Amino acid sequence: MGMEQAWLLPAIPAALFVVIALFHRVMPRHGDWAAILGMVTVIGLSAAIVLDFQDGGVNSYSFEWLTIGNGFFVIDFSTYVDSVTIVMLAAITIVTLMVMVYSVGYMHGDTRYGWYFAVLSLFAAAMLTLVISGNLILLYLAWEGVGLASYLLIGFWWERQSAAEAAKKAFITTRIGDVGLLIGIILLWRGAGTFDIQQIIHFAEDGGFDEKYLTITMLFLFAGAAGKSAQFPLHVWLPDAMEGPTPVSALIHAATMVVAGVYLVARMLPIYDEVLIARDVVLYTGLLTAIMAATMGLVANDIKRVLAYSTISQLGFMFVALGVGAITAAMFHLLTHAFFKSLLFLGSGSVIHATEEQEVEQLGGLRRKMPITTVTFIIGSLALAGIAPLAGFWSKDEILVATQGGAPAFAYVLLAATALLTAVYSTRLVLLTFFGEPKNQAVHDHAHESPPIMTVPLIILTSLALTAGFLALDGVGEVLGFAGGIGEIVFHGEHGHAYKLHFDIAAAATASSVIGIVIGLVYWRGRAERAERARGWAPELHTLLVNRYYIDHLYQATIDRVVLGLASVVAWFDKKVVNETGVDGGAQSLGYLGLRLKFLQTGKIPNYALGMAIGVVTISLVAFGMN
Amino acid sequence: MLSDSGLTADDGYVLLTLFLLPMATSVLLMFTPSRERGVIVGMTAVSSLLMFVLSVYVFAQYDYQSGAQFQGVRAWDWITNAGMLGDDGIQLKVGVDGIGAAMVLLTGIITMAGTWVSWKIQHRIKDFFILLYLVAAGVFGTFVLLDLFIWFFFYELAVLPMYLLIGVWGSTRKEYGAMKLMMMLVAGSILIFTAIFGIISATGVDSFDMVRLFELAPDMDRKTQLLLFPMVVIGCGTLAGLFPFHPWSPDGHAAAPTAVSMLHAGVLMKVGAFGVIRLGFQMMPEGAEYWAPGLIVLGISGALYGAISALRQDDLKLMTGFSSVSHMGYVFVGLGTMNAIGMTGAVLQMFAHGVMTALFFLLIGGMYDQTHNRDISNFSGMARVMPVWAAFFVIAALASFGLPGLSGFIAEVHIFIGAFRAYPVVGGLAVFTAALTATYLLRMFASAFFGDPVERWRGLSDITRAEKAAATVLASSIILLGVWPSWWVDRISTTIAATIPGVTL
Repeated sequence: MGMEQAWLLPAIPAALFVVIALFHRVMPRHGDWAAILGMVTVIGLSAAIVLDFQDGGVNSYSFEWLTIGNGFFVIDFSTYVDSVTIVMLAAITIVTLMVMVYSVGYMHGDTRYGWYFAVLSLFAAAMLTLVISGNLILLYLAWEGVGLASYLLIGFWWERQSAAEAAKKAFITTRIGDVGLLIGIILLWRGAGTFDIQQIIHFAEDGGFDEKYLTITMLFLFAGAAGKSAQFPLHVWLPDAMEGPTPVSALIHAATMVVAGVYLVARMLPIYDEVLIARDVVLYTGLLTAIMAATMGLVANDIKRVLAYSTISQLGFMFVALGVGAITAAMFHLLTHAFFKSLLFLGSGSVIHATEEQEVEQLGGLRRKMPITTVTFIIGSLALAGIAPLAGFWSKDEILVATQGGAPAFAYVLLAATALLTAVYSTRLVLLTFFGEPKNQAVHDHAHESPPIMTVPLIILTSLALTAGFLALDGVGEVLGFAGGIGEIVFHGEHGHAYKLHFDIAAAATASSVIGIVIGLVYWRGRAERAERARGWAPELHTLLVNRYYIDHLYQATIDRVVLGLASVVAWFDKKVVNETGVDGGAQSLGYLGLRLKFLQTGKIPNYALGMAIGVVTISLVAFGMN
Repeated sequence: MLSDSGLTADDGYVLLTLFLLPMATSVLLMFTPSRERGVIVGMTAVSSLLMFVLSVYVFAQYDYQSGAQFQGVRAWDWITNAGMLGDDGIQLKVGVDGIGAAMVLLTGIITMAGTWVSWKIQHRIKDFFILLYLVAAGVFGTFVLLDLFIWFFFYELAVLPMYLLIGVWGSTRKEYGAMKLMMMLVAGSILIFTAIFGIISATGVDSFDMVRLFELAPDMDRKTQLLLFPMVVIGCGTLAGLFPFHPWSPDGHAAAPTAVSMLHAGVLMKVGAFGVIRLGFQMMPEGAEYWAPGLIVLGISGALYGAISALRQDDLKLMTGFSSVSHMGYVFVGLGTMNAIGMTGAVLQMFAHGVMTALFFLLIGGMYDQTHNRDISNFSGMARVMPVWAAFFVIAALASFGLPGLSGFIAEVHIFIGAFRAYPVVGGLAVFTAALTATYLLRMFASAFFGDPVERWRGLSDITRAEKAAATVLASSIILLGVWPSWWVDRISTTIAATIPGVTL
């Protein structure tokens, strides 16, 4: 088993999807064990691939899918494994397994329990395909596959109209991005004549593309990435996607699928380096999204929505890193974020499972009733806030360092400020949920700690949130069998560098995180009236944030007024003008003509004779005229 | 049984059987007493199964590597040395190319599925099948015949029984729908008929042999081609739902009974597009080259127009009807690209849209038979009431908006790439249309399939066993083309590259 057999990874969950989807009714426990065992196998195979890992990347061709004109147009399915893939594999396989185990408890007794595990397997298959694909068509196939799984899982409880609407919104919004992605892929083929990612990169590096053409192409491609990774202006679907079961939010909408956009840009980064305008668009889109989402996270009251805004914001961080060309920082943050954010989501799931409530205004004081959840959630929050030596500290520091070096000063300042906001909203969330007095006694009485099947994954992810950051250190990387720390594992071009702690930036970042936490502590401390005061402090700003900058409203109005309005006009046009006037009118006027003409047949000889005479005269005149 | 040499002259008998079998079935049915439902069902079961098997055989046996594009060619004389006709005169000549083989397979699949779901018809089932099988004979004939005179006869045979099928067994405004469909299609036929004689006289051949015409007609003088090509496009395009000659399509489909909608949208519209390829692209390259940009404009307009109109339809069948206009628009975009990738995509789209839309109409029919209601706004939570039905519907919808791994994507990606090679803006619009398609389908799901079931429909039962079986056949075809496209692509692209003059890569 080596890197060449990477195609086995998605094959296992894909087969399990078919089996579980068709036979879950007759399988013991509806087949949850099969999905979990499959994932364990995949982790084993991934470990084998990591052990076999070597620098560079390995391109393996499996087979030619279709071809036209003797190799002029070829789509072949090939796999490509390099360091970026390795990082993705680590995040995907570990989080998927944790989520599956956790779901055994969380989804217990659900009417569609078997179907749930089937779709999780489908998702795993598509996500694994996405990251091992060496070819843009295969990548697109997997890209849509994860989108489908996401649609099915957001709308898992589709009897709720809100879930059905959220699933629709998620799919259509990302689909708009996918229009760009597909156009980008086709434009790349049009220039390079191949779908193979590495060949396209070489073609671009050799200057095979016209620069303007390539800039436009890479912007189209980024539209796809922005849609999937919920970046402004396509971020609107992710908070709504929280309608899905919470383990799904942890897996798909925090750790894996939403980072597909980051992965795509990271994969194509050598091309983005050729067209710096497009790379700058990535940078500033990420920056804007990071700030916007963090501010929205400050005021959200739904525990999952706060985490969703946080995810959008953190994805923005990753795009900022990519925007300055720091692939190491982006992939590192992707990995640590996968662990601590899925931890936070599963923790919130534990709360929801225990209380059946997800509005922080109804929670509070849960720390005594749910000690494990509380402690793991706090650790996750500290990792998110970037407190040393937790995972988030190392990777966020890496991004800040890269931004300071590669972007204008204001970008660095804004990003650091966003890091501070991150600490504020995490603190607020922890305080309002777990500390203070219970705000709803009925809910509080109901609460209990979750069963071990749910808390054990929490504890495992907590240990990863505690330790994943140490991957930055060469010693840790060497123990794991790599040449060194994360800087040695993931790099591109000549920028390979060992991780170096920049004390000034690290100190500043930690200080701002601490300040953020202190602000949060002072402000909320778990009391409802303090939360009220935050509202009174700047009511207009609060309203603006609560309404999500009115972006959702704007889109809804656009769809209702412009799109559906246009559709109404077209439908009216088709009905009235094309059908009733054109077709029916044409038929009726023929009928009317017949009705009129029939009176010419009078049966009177003189009339006919007159007609004949007129005819003869006319023809003669015409004939003479022509001569 | 499968040999290496493709379809031989002896396989001409298979091609002959393809359209004689449904004709014979029709005739035998005429002599079957109407009260013998069992016999009628049995006969149609056997006949449709045979057609399916033969069509699979033709498709599988067609050898794209043999060099000969038309295979299984065989001719029987009918009228020779009479009037201006020479030795060949009018023949019964059969043979398929890669495009025809794919279309034969499509017809076999849909005829069988349509037969199965029609067994539950109560009103005059015998007469229904007599007419339905005449349509099937007409369609099969069009795809395998290589004599232009008889080809046109079968083209008409495929269209005319529609009038009775819709008028007698249809629903909602059926007389209007039937009349409108018939008038528009016959008007189109007049153009085709004229164009056929134009081609014959301009070429100066003394027969209707299409194989000879494929060789000689491209040398027609440019002016004639420029005149005749649009006649063929409008004539056949009307049947294919080409914008703006589409108005019969949504109304006709909405009024038609289930199996007729399936056959009509699934196969008959493809006969129109097939006619455009046969008479237009394969015979008049200069006309094609001149008019291709116009064809693309109509195609992309139809794709957008259909998708936007579908957003506002409440009747499920009307939505699907406009969706057909939209998807057939893609076919013309693909044809208009004049390159092998785009044109292959066009034929793939004919197949993909055929099975997908047949599945749509099958499912809508299965629901309508119980509810006598098709308005999306009247439904909610149908996925709970009819889960199997809903699952098949989702598969059809996913194929419709081009989810990779299903048939629609394969076709669309070829068309998109072909369009980007020819006119990038059109390519961009085409990709955008696919997002619109997702929008109207997902909106429909969110309101009709999900949410809480309405009290009124709680008692509905899921689709019948026959419908499930038919839906399985169609869904399998959707998946098969989606995951193993090379079977189709090889056959179609080879024929396109070899038989359409002036096509680029």
